[in-house]
Amino acid sequence: MTRLLRPGLWIQAIAAVALVIAACGGSSPSAPAKGTIVVAGFNFPESSILAQLYGQALAHDGYTITYKLNLGTRKVVAPALESGQIDLYPGYAASELEYFNSLKGEATADPVATTAKLNTYLKSFNAVALNPSSAFDGNAYAVTKATSDHYNLKTLSDLTPVAGQLVFGAGPECPTYKFCLPGLMSVYGLHFKQTLTLDTDGPATRAAFKNNTIQVGLVFSTDSDLQSLGLVVLQDDKHMIAADNVVPVIRTKVATDEAKKVLNKISAGLTTTDLFTMNGQVELQHMDADAVAKTYLTQHNYFS
Amino acid sequence: MRTSLFLDAVDPWVNWDWLSNHVPYVLAAVQEHVTLTLIAVVAGLAISLPLGVLAHRWAGLRFPLLTVFGIFYTIPSLALFAFLIPYTGLGGTTAEIPLIGYNVLVLVRNVLVGLDGVPADVLDAADGMGYRPFARLVRVELPLALPAILAGLRVATVSTIGIVTITAVIGLGGLGQLILRGLIESFHTPLVVATVLSIFLALVADLALAGAQRFIVPWARPA
Amino acid sequence: MNILQSVWQWVTDPAHLSGPDGIPTRLGEHLHLSIESVLLGALIALPAGIVLGHYGRFGNLAINISNVGRAVPSFGILVIAFQVFGLGDLPIILALTALAIPPMVTNSYVALREVDPDVKDAARGMGYRELAQLMRVELPLAIPLIMAGVRTSAVQVVATATLAALVAGGGLGRYIVDGLARDDQPRLVAGALLVAGLALATELLLAGLQRLLVPRGLRLLKTPAVERATSIKAA
Repeated sequence: MTRLLRPGLWIQAIAAVALVIAACGGSSPSAPAKGTIVVAGFNFPESSILAQLYGQALAHDGYTITYKLNLGTRKVVAPALESGQIDLYPGYAASELEYFNSLKGEATADPVATTAKLNTYLKSFNAVALNPSSAFDGNAYAVTKATSDHYNLKTLSDLTPVAGQLVFGAGPECPTYKFCLPGLMSVYGLHFKQTLTLDTDGPATRAAFKNNTIQVGLVFSTDSDLQSLGLVVLQDDKHMIAADNVVPVIRTKVATDEAKKVLNKISAGLTTTDLFTMNGQVELQHMDADAVAKTYLTQHNYFS
Repeated sequence: MRTSLFLDAVDPWVNWDWLSNHVPYVLAAVQEHVTLTLIAVVAGLAISLPLGVLAHRWAGLRFPLLTVFGIFYTIPSLALFAFLIPYTGLGGTTAEIPLIGYNVLVLVRNVLVGLDGVPADVLDAADGMGYRPFARLVRVELPLALPAILAGLRVATVSTIGIVTITAVIGLGGLGQLILRGLIESFHTPLVVATVLSIFLALVADLALAGAQRFIVPWARPA
Repeated sequence: MNILQSVWQWVTDPAHLSGPDGIPTRLGEHLHLSIESVLLGALIALPAGIVLGHYGRFGNLAINISNVGRAVPSFGILVIAFQVFGLGDLPIILALTALAIPPMVTNSYVALREVDPDVKDAARGMGYRELAQLMRVELPLAIPLIMAGVRTSAVQVVATATLAALVAGGGLGRYIVDGLARDDQPRLVAGALLVAGLALATELLLAGLQRLLVPRGLRLLKTPAVERATSIKAA
């Protein structure tokens, strides 16, 4: 009997250590918090930065923030907001509208009007989009310099006659995303030789450009490494892309006047150049999204 | 076949600076990882022991039980996590259901093997000594089945630690979050650190359980 | 049930039965990745395990390498392979091969070790030289366990190949990743069922192959009703 007890203690010791590891840490802050807000971001670095910007500002104001960064595409993040799994995500006005209205094509180049229209749909989900920022990041379509020279490509319309000879690469959500394949086909009549599913403006897309697996690819207009990769962005001459201005989308339950004030203040001060700069810090210098956000907030005196 | 390290020299495989500045971040990920694993293994065992005992008693239960969980076992974890999101949300529940399900298959099989392997004459002797069925189970059969059960625990734990990394794709994942971040930002360090730590966790768990096995049943052949 | 209906509709939709994203293509990609990885893994693992088991040397090394191999997270190793080798099948096959090796090494090593020493003695006494003894006496006796290792590896690889889609790879995993990304449940479930089906088919096929290869005398020995779980689920 005693013999069994001794090794039994052994197992209990291991289990205890494991439980301690699991249980320790993660204690809540001592000051009474205003409640918890779950902040999510899409699966690309800029979204992590924006989520951190909004989240840290709210945290500074007394809210407890839980982050769910790199959560996925809009089709994962938006439903999560609809079902209350998350409370806030940094959206892009036109793209959010075309998601919530099921690709009706109502987005325009006016961020305020677009956001207002967005809010008519968000109401039924107990959510609201706040003031759109002037910071803009929309889909952009790039080709390698070689391809651009070879076919003399400067605008997306230039692509129409030669698309059939080129391979296009984008992320898995592209076929159902208004400002991706559906828009390219309906506005520009582009029918590529082949469409490869890679990632949303991520490493696979860049690798594919590098070894010429694709000649045309989806990037974002605020990407900081386009020049160093030798990529040329084709101009959206027929204005397929609409007002993809940064706008925080939040559930009404967390949309207190206090929270709205904090968030709108961030959005008001944010510019497209800021996005470009911060993206560079994360993508090229491998700084943390949270560190970059913190620096930005400190420099703009949000923490004082 | 040239292998091109197609990221800049700016990014060494492990940036020790980054690591030393991010110890809390990494430790938090390890903690989440251990928690998810513990819950999956303990719950799996808690479910498998009674199920295994029942299936051992009632032969008719054995085949359906193993088949149902066996089929569940062949479904890729990523698909299960993604499938469950609309029903169980983005939290631990969605992660745990598949993890526990996989562990139940592994552990039930091993509970059955363990119980099947108890020699008939030992059972006879126990009956002869006056053990009633439940007491016989708890004091004779299960202890003799321990080597197999512990072997199953080892397999379940190592498997779970690996699969937990995949839950990063639905917003959880402990160390998987570092892997995902390393992928999205083309950043080596969190990726390498997380992979190494995951291997380390699995090895420690495996060795600890193997050690416990040798302690508890020193007469048994190592699995 | 509604979801099964929608999955059935998806699978029988002619648009999904042809083209670069069609089921035959993705299935082919998946098989290509899986078969190459298992073959390459077997090429490395089986000779190593068999030789080590035959000589009884470095057993601990073999087992330890296997243990470390089992502990490697497949998601991590795939991303590392992607970051080293870039796009294409090569990084995926290399990563899957690394995952396929441990069960085959362990099983072949143990299989050779478990050959009854009396049988080996008898063979030596009958005049078999080393290689002949290995090939004509030990290996046939070891085949059940070796094949079990190959079977385990193969099923593992088929399941893990689904993760290739996370690093822009092809295969049936594409349906799962794309289904999640587009909130397209029929696609997601179809992908999951296809992979599960393929894994089951692989298991059955290799079990059948094992029966063919096992010498008749061994086959007649009683096999246990339930086999202990020894393999790690990696995805």
